Amino acid sequence: MSTAAYVVLAVVLLASYVTWTAGRLDRMHARVDAAWAALDAQLVRRAAAARALVPLLPAGPEARALDEAAFAALEAGQHGREAVENDLSRALRQVGALIPADLPEQTRAELETASSRVGLARSFHNSAVNDTRALRRRRLPRALRLAGHRAMPVGFDINDDIHDSSWGDGTDTST
Amino acid sequence: MRIGIVCPYTWDVPGGVQAHVRDLAESLLALGHEVSVLTPVDDPDTADLPSYVVPGGRAVPVPYNGSVARLTFGPLSLTRTRRWLRKGRFDVLHLHEPTVPSLSMIACFAARGPMVATFHTATARSRALQVFGTAMQPGLEKITGRIAVSPAARRVVVEHLGHDAVLIPNGVRVSAFAGARPLDGLSAGPRVVFLGRIDEDRKGLAVLLDALPRLVKQVPDVQVLVAGPGDPPEVPPNVRVLGLVSAEDKPRVFASGDVYCAPNTHGESFGIVLIEAMAAGTPVVASDLEAFRRVLEDGDAGVLFPVGDSAALADALADLLRDEDRRAALSATGSQVVLDYDWSEVTRQIVEVYETVAVPAAVELDDDTDEPDVEDFGQEDDPGRVSETLRRWLAVVRERVAP
Repeated sequence: MSTAAYVVLAVVLLASYVTWTAGRLDRMHARVDAAWAALDAQLVRRAAAARALVPLLPAGPEARALDEAAFAALEAGQHGREAVENDLSRALRQVGALIPADLPEQTRAELETASSRVGLARSFHNSAVNDTRALRRRRLPRALRLAGHRAMPVGFDINDDIHDSSWGDGTDTST
Repeated sequence: MRIGIVCPYTWDVPGGVQAHVRDLAESLLALGHEVSVLTPVDDPDTADLPSYVVPGGRAVPVPYNGSVARLTFGPLSLTRTRRWLRKGRFDVLHLHEPTVPSLSMIACFAARGPMVATFHTATARSRALQVFGTAMQPGLEKITGRIAVSPAARRVVVEHLGHDAVLIPNGVRVSAFAGARPLDGLSAGPRVVFLGRIDEDRKGLAVLLDALPRLVKQVPDVQVLVAGPGDPPEVPPNVRVLGLVSAEDKPRVFASGDVYCAPNTHGESFGIVLIEAMAAGTPVVASDLEAFRRVLEDGDAGVLFPVGDSAALADALADLLRDEDRRAALSATGSQVVLDYDWSEVTRQIVEVYETVAVPAAVELDDDTDEPDVEDFGQEDDPGRVSETLRRWLAVVRERVAP
């Protein structure tokens, strides 16, 4: 084979590798988007469950704080979402001891389900983000800007534990 | 929900993953979900297949890591997997052990959409996983939700594949063990039960036999029941070897013991056998392995002794055999602990994962060209040829990764 044939072959191989990697990146961004949509839905569900809890709590600063935190979480856009959701987790931990024993089972179950799903959805979202970031940081995708103009996805880090009462002492340093 | 589950190992050969898939599928069906299981089947004509099982081809035995792995590969498997995916229109696809070269891996590469994978393997012994790990990355990164059945399995996922996974334990059918009657024809006196492969060192039968003289000094009429496959060693008179017990008799073996003893020396990733014993109401004495300590809640739900220390084991057994109140208390705690591992609870958590990843779009083929729905003409992949190719391929890989 002549040199030209080798060059053509190399170009074809490189081109198909690049196309394949671009497709892979595209799929991964789609996975991040889907995971964020799922996480967003679970966060909204948790905030709604928290609001439903408010009227069943004894009136006081904790109940008011929960109401405000839940309202803020429902209103929040993607910007500053972590801080708002962290506040809601903390408000939920602080009302833990005030929850009446005769709380309707449905309300309790809804809150438990919503909060454990926030944990799952967050783990799946962050793992999609990590996969995507790892690929985007590689040399070829960076050099050829295979990700296009899409922003580098970022993880969503909050403390989603609503039970641990030791966190509710005001020293919560949200990570 | 419409759930498609893929099992990588041959359905008609007993094994942990197969049992897991079967119990999960049946629990999901009982909850009213639609379930289809794609799995290799050796003999679809004679095997007594449940209606939810779809055969995905025949497995080829391949020597791997000192034992024989039965894997399914080839064009027929691919065709069947694709057809199953297309017909199934699943809301979620659940792959078991997608790193094993079998149907799960094929399905992982062939599908897109909401995908959940469960990782069972806890041993990261093979460097091959590191090599394949990179090669499999493009497929594995399609998976939306990852589940590990034990902390050790999770560690393998994190360290070798660079992903995180949520922890959902293996399930146990608690109702199958609760209230079991002791075996018939046993002599009176306190009894210690051991269950596990007799000739496998890591199950620790030797530790228990070493503890026996010291135990007999403290509890003269003690009897040890040894159940499990393997050639029994020369045993003293107060040991009775039951041999291999059937699945139906297993709960009764546990119920026959005043104490269940798990003297394992290493290599346990989960300790499901402890949960089975506790479900049968038998208090447990187990070696202080990480997995056992976790199941026994740091000793609140059972007695732990230093790994391999037969003197400590003898004392622990003697103390417990002479203390009826303590046994009753451990038994009561145990029956609470096992509820977390019951299939109803485990299935609830798995469904929660499904509902978190499932989006309105269903699972579909990744490159769904308008290919006609090809009938297969009843030809099996030629097992001899495939096996030969795989074996050569594995030999090359093994050469490269050999230390």
